[in-house]
Amino acid sequence: MSASAVMFYILGALVLTFGVLTVFTRKIFRAAVYLLLSLIGIAAIYIIMDMQFIAALQIVIYVGGIVVLIIFSIFLTHQAGERLPSRLPKHLLWSILLSGVGLLLATHILYHFSYKPSIEPAIEHSVKNIGTQLIDFRSYGYVFPFEVVSILLLAAMVGSIIIAMKTKKN
Amino acid sequence: MRALIQYIKDVAQGFYSLSQGLLLTLKYFVRPWKHIVEQYPENRTTTIYIPEKFAGEVVLPHDENNRHKCTACTLCEMACPNGTIKIISATIEGEDGKKKKVLDKWVYNLGMCTMCGQCVDACPQDAITMKNSFELSVYNRNDLIKVLNKPGSKLKEKES
Amino acid sequence: MTLTIQFSDITKWIHETLNASMSPGWALFSEFVLAGVAMILLVVVLAVLFVYMERKVAGFMQLRLGPHRVGPWGTMQVFADVFKLLLKESFAPFTVDKFLFNFAPILVLAVAFMAMAPISFAPGLQLWDMNIGILYVTAVSSIGVIGILMAGWSSNNKYSLLGAMRSGAQIVSYELSAGLSLVAVIAMCGSLSISDIIASQADGWWIFKGHLPIMFAFVVYVIAGTAETNRAPFDLAEAESELTAGYHTEFSGMQFGMFYLTEYINMAVISMVATTVFLGGWLPFHIYGFDAFNNVMNFIPSWIWFFGKTFFIIFLMMWFRWTFPRLRIDQLLKLEWKYLLPLSIINVVIVAFLVVMGWHF
Repeated sequence: MSASAVMFYILGALVLTFGVLTVFTRKIFRAAVYLLLSLIGIAAIYIIMDMQFIAALQIVIYVGGIVVLIIFSIFLTHQAGERLPSRLPKHLLWSILLSGVGLLLATHILYHFSYKPSIEPAIEHSVKNIGTQLIDFRSYGYVFPFEVVSILLLAAMVGSIIIAMKTKKN
Repeated sequence: MRALIQYIKDVAQGFYSLSQGLLLTLKYFVRPWKHIVEQYPENRTTTIYIPEKFAGEVVLPHDENNRHKCTACTLCEMACPNGTIKIISATIEGEDGKKKKVLDKWVYNLGMCTMCGQCVDACPQDAITMKNSFELSVYNRNDLIKVLNKPGSKLKEKES
Repeated sequence: MTLTIQFSDITKWIHETLNASMSPGWALFSEFVLAGVAMILLVVVLAVLFVYMERKVAGFMQLRLGPHRVGPWGTMQVFADVFKLLLKESFAPFTVDKFLFNFAPILVLAVAFMAMAPISFAPGLQLWDMNIGILYVTAVSSIGVIGILMAGWSSNNKYSLLGAMRSGAQIVSYELSAGLSLVAVIAMCGSLSISDIIASQADGWWIFKGHLPIMFAFVVYVIAGTAETNRAPFDLAEAESELTAGYHTEFSGMQFGMFYLTEYINMAVISMVATTVFLGGWLPFHIYGFDAFNNVMNFIPSWIWFFGKTFFIIFLMMWFRWTFPRLRIDQLLKLEWKYLLPLSIINVVIVAFLVVMGWHF
């Protein structure tokens, strides 16, 4: 077994362990930290696959952005330091059922998907190519989703400003 | 437009005032020989300056004939808020046969003194005063209890 | 000049010797271990120098002499402090969240170490020449804020929590303008890789070559970098007079030492990135046309150039710290969101315009 395979299995085990811990811990702040470690593990797997740009974006967006936001909202919630109450049996049953169905569906799709070997040369995943592809309007370009997402983010930002804005009382 | 000009003006003014502070500290940094902070234990015998008004401890000055001015009236003992002073007086018989109260021991507990100076203010004879001494710490607490009148000292009579 | 040993020759020799004696996997592993040990040694030496320098600079700027009792000119003072921290018990109060409390300093320190991976100290002396070097540094250093939040939360102390929240808000906001000022240079040289950025400055450092926009970006980067490392005048996260010591109030012994070390490593990372991006990395200072002067400059080894520039920027940050009073939290956020961020966005637009028109060098 090569060194990179060993690293991959170690990282995979870590990602899965922390994912499971995220779900099963009864302390909400620890859940956020386990989620963070799991996401960092995924970034490391990207680096093993030689996808450094994706790995850096994973860290910037998920770790530097989303987990920090989650932690801030945990800080602002009431009684966040206490242990969550244990699950109700009814909720437990439903969640086991739903997640089992989801697992079955995912494995079914994975096993019956016909992976077609491609003869096209692999696209060079340099930062320049990713950037050009992102704002390309010819075939396989992503300019439309890019613009739609940016409009969505702009709307969200304007909305949050309006919610947070103080109205002057005259 | 006026707001924009004001904004740029604010930024420029901010940078100017910050640069003033930076230049001052840089001036201090590059001229270490002009530093005013003294190196205390080394300058103890050379450049150290303790002002006359500094209240370090209470002393009972004696003149060249080993005479002090204390009449053992105990006004200082009563004025002291901390019970620092203890006047032990003795009664002796003067040459004219009258009994007379004189100072035997002027006991001063430096460890309890807060250098408030009320004893000095209370003294009608100006017998005691504050001295600007420092480094008064000792290894034993009993050493802080001092007898201020020297052995064999006598009352300095007023020249009337 | 023929006898010069390049650092790449040394690394190549180590690589070949290791591969000759063991299997490639184990050779790779021992190379990792060697690189890690070298990095730790470098960081420890740098941290000792920084702490000593900080104290001396602080002293001189306040008309004092700084440490001068322990050892000649106080040089042993840092070692005395480190041994004191090592000998102290790492005490955890009994209401803290033990796992997070012990994990936070390790995470913060590990992240600070990781951010140093792609930095090139001299030609060939680089741990990992990745094609997204600068992005990697900014990405990895954004994990550090979570360690600070963890430390503040797990301490179960209102001052720690307040300090952590202030620190989080501060780092998250100042990352924006730091990133945008780096984007200005990246747009001009067209690459994220550290070695490419240094190579693009062979005919002049970006701060001279890029004219006003890059000079402005440099100023913004130094301000934002000072804020990101939680140093005065932006040290609200550990403002002694208000929050005892902020997020590391409850930490003692070497756990506190780790936070202290991290502050200096983060400073080193910020100034090394500024050196690489704006001041030409390990490239010597050249004036176009003065060949004699340029030859003298070439004679100075490249690693001295690199660390000299790094120490210059560290000195700038120390100079700020010992000159300026601390900002209030509203002033801090106002400075970022009302002044630095709009100005750096305009700056990036100007740089993009210059690059598109081809007016840059």
